[in-house]
Amino acid sequence: MLRRSRVLGGLAASVLAAFSVAHAADQEGTLVVALETLGGQTMDPILEGRAPHAHYQAPIYDALIGFNLEEGGLGPGVTERWELAEDGQSWFFHLQKGLKWHNGDPLTAHDVKFSLERTMSEESIASRASALRRNVKSIEVVDDHTVRVYTKGVQVHFPAGLSRAVFQEGQLMPKNYIESVGVEKFRAEPVGSGPWKFVESVPGDYVEFEAVEGPHWRGTPNFKRLRILLVPEESTRVAMVRTGEAAIASISPESIREVEAANLKLVTVPGTMQAIYQFWGTYKEGHKDSPLADVRVREALSLAIDRQQIIDHVMYGQASWPMPFATFSYAVDTDIAKWQEWGRTALRYDPERAKALLAEAGYPDGFDMKFANTALPGTPYMTQIGIAVADFWQKIGVNVDIKHYEWGAFRLLYRGEQKSLAGAASMFRTAGRPVAVARYSGGFQSKGGHHLFGDTEECNDFCQAYDKLHQEVVTAQDAELRARKTDEMLTMVADSWMAVPIIEGMGYWAVNPEQVGKFDTIPGRHELGDVFERMPRPEQKPW
Amino acid sequence: MQRYILQRLVQGVILLAVVTSIVFFVGRMTGNPVDMMLPEDATEEDRQDMIVRLKLEGTVMDQFGVFIVDAVQGDLGTSIRYRQPATDIFFSRLPNTLLMIPPAMILAIVMAVPLGVISALRRGGIIDRISATIAVLGISTPNFWLGIVLIYLFSVTLGWLPSSRMGGPLNYIMPTITLGTFLVAGFMRLIRSSMLETLDSEFVKLARIKGVSETAVIWKHCLRNALIPVLSLWGVFMGGLVTGAIVTETVFAWPGIGRLTYEAVIFRDYPLLQAVIIMDAIFILFINLLVDILYAYVDPRIRFE
Repeated sequence: MLRRSRVLGGLAASVLAAFSVAHAADQEGTLVVALETLGGQTMDPILEGRAPHAHYQAPIYDALIGFNLEEGGLGPGVTERWELAEDGQSWFFHLQKGLKWHNGDPLTAHDVKFSLERTMSEESIASRASALRRNVKSIEVVDDHTVRVYTKGVQVHFPAGLSRAVFQEGQLMPKNYIESVGVEKFRAEPVGSGPWKFVESVPGDYVEFEAVEGPHWRGTPNFKRLRILLVPEESTRVAMVRTGEAAIASISPESIREVEAANLKLVTVPGTMQAIYQFWGTYKEGHKDSPLADVRVREALSLAIDRQQIIDHVMYGQASWPMPFATFSYAVDTDIAKWQEWGRTALRYDPERAKALLAEAGYPDGFDMKFANTALPGTPYMTQIGIAVADFWQKIGVNVDIKHYEWGAFRLLYRGEQKSLAGAASMFRTAGRPVAVARYSGGFQSKGGHHLFGDTEECNDFCQAYDKLHQEVVTAQDAELRARKTDEMLTMVADSWMAVPIIEGMGYWAVNPEQVGKFDTIPGRHELGDVFERMPRPEQKPW
Repeated sequence: MQRYILQRLVQGVILLAVVTSIVFFVGRMTGNPVDMMLPEDATEEDRQDMIVRLKLEGTVMDQFGVFIVDAVQGDLGTSIRYRQPATDIFFSRLPNTLLMIPPAMILAIVMAVPLGVISALRRGGIIDRISATIAVLGISTPNFWLGIVLIYLFSVTLGWLPSSRMGGPLNYIMPTITLGTFLVAGFMRLIRSSMLETLDSEFVKLARIKGVSETAVIWKHCLRNALIPVLSLWGVFMGGLVTGAIVTETVFAWPGIGRLTYEAVIFRDYPLLQAVIIMDAIFILFINLLVDILYAYVDPRIRFE
């Protein structure tokens, strides 16, 4: 009855490989990690809205869908394989067998149903809970190891949202335990099924875990304990790694030189974000004659940017050449080689061509433009990138009026009619996600939050064509068709030069090689909550 | 005296109401928690849904009405980020900050009183010049920078002290110095100038004529009078300590109310921000009331007025 079967190649081998040979007797010491934020620091998955969940909830909770550990993106999780039903209106999730919660209860399909329903509940403030409520019609337990999720309409990308490679909504909670002890006790003494058991959470200070003793499918920890500290100031975090008070600390590119000088190890996570700039409201009636409404001008502005200089000098060499908007090397339904080549050629530095395009568009002497510079929390270097971009634009004769905004204040600007941003450019970011189309929805659909091509009231032919194409992408059940439509979508956005990648950023970690052995990160996932269990002690795998 | 205290209490309540209103409205002008909690590509539908979940519907005036009604009943709301009563979070962090403030005050008294007195007695001398230098440095050095320098010197380079976080007595040294330095500088200069003025007063001359020992003149008669203006400024300095704790606690990863304030601002956690500032305001108003009462006792002129 199933028309398409998405059995992940090499699944069994991957899962087996993930089993570590470590046993309780081999687990020693405490792995101490210093982070800039612990978010809401709640052990209840439905109360955490943002990315820190992947730091401090991931150790204890497994997710329905996991990671491709080597390449990034999606891979097996508690679900070993997942399939779209023949009619495209529901998804089957087949669970691994023999999994247990930390209290010894078996992990079954009933827990999955309970977890998804709890995540969609009124109480939930998980960031994508709203999308789940909109997209899920009902959930059925087929048997102890199979769950069927009925969606509202065809949702070909539905499973992606249940992986921590994308969001947190796939985290699983123990039905029997919560129902027997109550929510308050669950929050105080959470039980999960991950490779680490909860020990203690001191608000504003730290969260501590203890390793599970037996083999775990994600990897059996080599350390006995894991302590995640909240240390907001970066200088202090680096100092802690230098003194050995912490083994690992999150840093920004500004600390790279110091880390190298102190003989610490710099670990980077590729493909965690793109720094981009985008043009707001150029489709609006009042801005149709604006220089920025001309695609030649927008392309010229991209050609004016020397991205290699930004990578070398702003990012200290620790950034990559970008692919198209919101597209990374682990993207699904995407011709990676083609679009990497596109990035290298289309995003080149060519100021002469830029000036020629400006002249062709009728602006040989440049023009005035407004540029809102901002940086998301955790990416302060975006401000420096924005300044560099404005400088490059000045060099081809564009007079840039740059204003700097704190992120919270900036987000107010693009709500509603976007009056103060329409006809202007701004910095922005896209997080590293394997399914680009979700980000394209927010950016370009007329009902999206940014709606750069048009809004629900003012949607020209181009805007309507994009909306139609977008719908085709998200409902294409055939893999080949979906890949082709995705390619068309990427082309349409890339050729519009409306939202343009500047660099592909990384996650940066300072590591004390005497405290932890050499480890690999998961491409695209800055947070290390799914990596701690595979980190060796220094004597097990020296640097 | 009772009338005086009552008058100050009424003034405090009015001030608190003004502070509360300002915090409520200004906080909402700078952004909102919904935007901080949703991913950057969230749709308007997602946003509206989150507004409902967080109970942020209605106009700002509607929300203000609800807030005031709840606040007078002692309910300052539920933290949007932590999903717990804001006052509970405040009181869970308060002890950590209170552990840091007394050492800073003690440091200030131990250093500022002798240096201030000696500077006044040896005006223009080497100690006066050194203390003037310390004062200028103490007031002009950002405590953020001072904290980082101390960490690099005593933790990273010398390895003598833990770099941050709460713990044993050694953990208190650098945060105390960072938080207390501006107090030392301020108190010291104030005591010096106050001492100079007192030393020149008639009652001091009379005491000396009567044959009171120089030690008693300086440390008993002069210092006691010189401390009156210091006492009056103590309330102001306590406010400085609370705001200084924001920076100190951030640098030293100290889970107190200073850092809680910082987190509430960054994440636009209105209920938590309101609770923290209102509680801080109550604390500072209380300290100032205490100072006023003490001042009235110490200075008979105030009492008799």
